Amino acid sequence: MSRPSSFSLRGRKALLAIKDDRDASIVRRQFERLGIDSVAWGAGAALDVSPDVALIDDEFLPLAQPAQRTMLGRCPVIALLGTETPSRLKLVFELDPASFLIKPLRSAGIYAALVMAFERNERTNELKQQVVKLEQRLRSRRVVLAAVLQVMHSHALSEPAAFALIRKAAMEQRKTIEELSAEITARGLPPRIAG
Amino acid sequence: MGREILKSAMMAVDEINNQAAFDFSITAHVRDPRGIVSEYHTVCDDLIRNVGVEHIIGCYTSASRKQVLPIVERTDRLLWYPARYEGFECSDNVIYVGASPNHNVLPLIRYVLDNLSREIFCVGSNYVWTWETNRVTRELVSAADGHILAERLLELGESAVGHIVDEIVRKKPPIVFNTLVGSSSYDFIRAFHAGTEAAGLEIPMLSCSLCEPELSIVGPASAGCITSSAYFESIQLPENLSFVARWKARYGEDSSPSVDGQSAYVAVYLLARALQRAGTSDIGEVRRAAAGHRYNSPQGPVWIDGGNNHCVLTPRLAVSNRQGQFDIFWEADAPVKPDPYLTQLDVAVSPSREASVGGALPNAPHLRVVK
Repeated sequence: MSRPSSFSLRGRKALLAIKDDRDASIVRRQFERLGIDSVAWGAGAALDVSPDVALIDDEFLPLAQPAQRTMLGRCPVIALLGTETPSRLKLVFELDPASFLIKPLRSAGIYAALVMAFERNERTNELKQQVVKLEQRLRSRRVVLAAVLQVMHSHALSEPAAFALIRKAAMEQRKTIEELSAEITARGLPPRIAG
Repeated sequence: MGREILKSAMMAVDEINNQAAFDFSITAHVRDPRGIVSEYHTVCDDLIRNVGVEHIIGCYTSASRKQVLPIVERTDRLLWYPARYEGFECSDNVIYVGASPNHNVLPLIRYVLDNLSREIFCVGSNYVWTWETNRVTRELVSAADGHILAERLLELGESAVGHIVDEIVRKKPPIVFNTLVGSSSYDFIRAFHAGTEAAGLEIPMLSCSLCEPELSIVGPASAGCITSSAYFESIQLPENLSFVARWKARYGEDSSPSVDGQSAYVAVYLLARALQRAGTSDIGEVRRAAAGHRYNSPQGPVWIDGGNNHCVLTPRLAVSNRQGQFDIFWEADAPVKPDPYLTQLDVAVSPSREASVGGALPNAPHLRVVK
């Protein structure tokens, strides 16, 4: 399934934590043009919405409650920077921002920051999923090794030949090598391999 | 093109200064950046700081507008930008009088997909207008299960177009979309016409930018180009007939107004009407007065959308003829709201395609046996 285009922003929901009224009104105006719904949020208030993106003013950092950080961690964050000093940037890293804008804000840049944040978020999620998959495969390597050793012993095969035999059987049975290896180690060799 | 814009703007200024309906006069301070991008910032800086100008009409390319943008925003002046452009900008200090992307590329590609082909060969100048026009085209064509057969780019001003025409003659695409600008476009149209004619091919060409003065420059080879624009000289509205007559009286019977020139004329009128309504030249007041204030211009009724400072106008499609004019064959039922960020674009939806469900579609995708 193809993921939604990061260029299309209509219907997305944004959380706005912006201190300056002029900055906030520029963002709201641009969001209306882009078809984005926005919810204002003060750093002290409860965070009970699940936005698609959050714009967080560096004036509100550090965030007071860990719960706020957790909530914000679920969506891409765009940091609004008033200063580029390292001390402030260190605070901004806490948000793990996907994009940023420099204050005072102007309409130019907001669209690009949003698109970049959504795209960055999508790519990061894809990477995370890939990492989970790789970790699973890494964990199951031990099982595969055990299965290969078992087949090497029972069939008097070399390691590459034993692995090739398991791989061929897994393909025939439409299973992953890891799944078949788990079966071999749990129940011994299936009849087709054993035979 | 800058000269065309200046000619139309000056015509509007003179008309307004001679009309009793306006209780003020406009003084035009003309500067010529000679098409040098960096000069636009310099001349605007001079106009604002030394002359005290509050409203600037001009710029044609996006590159020149981007040069002017920081200075009009910093000094809170208004730039009245007449040209069609690729969108994705919305400054409070710019009034965008020309067509937005939903006004030009969208109706053109929808028409082609519904009536001509789902396979398009693109050739354009290597800059932002082509890049963005091709991106939108690709999205629409892909959503209709069609194909972009090729995307060929030439540097601005490039005149070596022969290899692209050879490729077109070889591949025989059903449609060619030309987003070249200036002399590259004129060279390409002539070579394309000669090459396809010699090969006995009839391949329709599309354009979002061709205008009457360019048809005259290119000559008879320019006939038959399907063009999307908000303005054609052949619009039969009384406001346009009168405008064209005044234009010819001023600039000569053989001369033609262009879409961007007419847009500059509209820009001056929108400014003057907003000044009159606001009773002041204050930027904020003028901007508010311009929003939603309908003006029956040569291209038909237009007004500024207060939400995004872009112009509400009527998109049209036409085919260029051998007399250097356009035969209009489609126009929107009513003026269309500008959508500079294509927020409302739903690539899968096409009203006319939905209406033709069940009917045979040109180049309809079909299954094929792959051995």
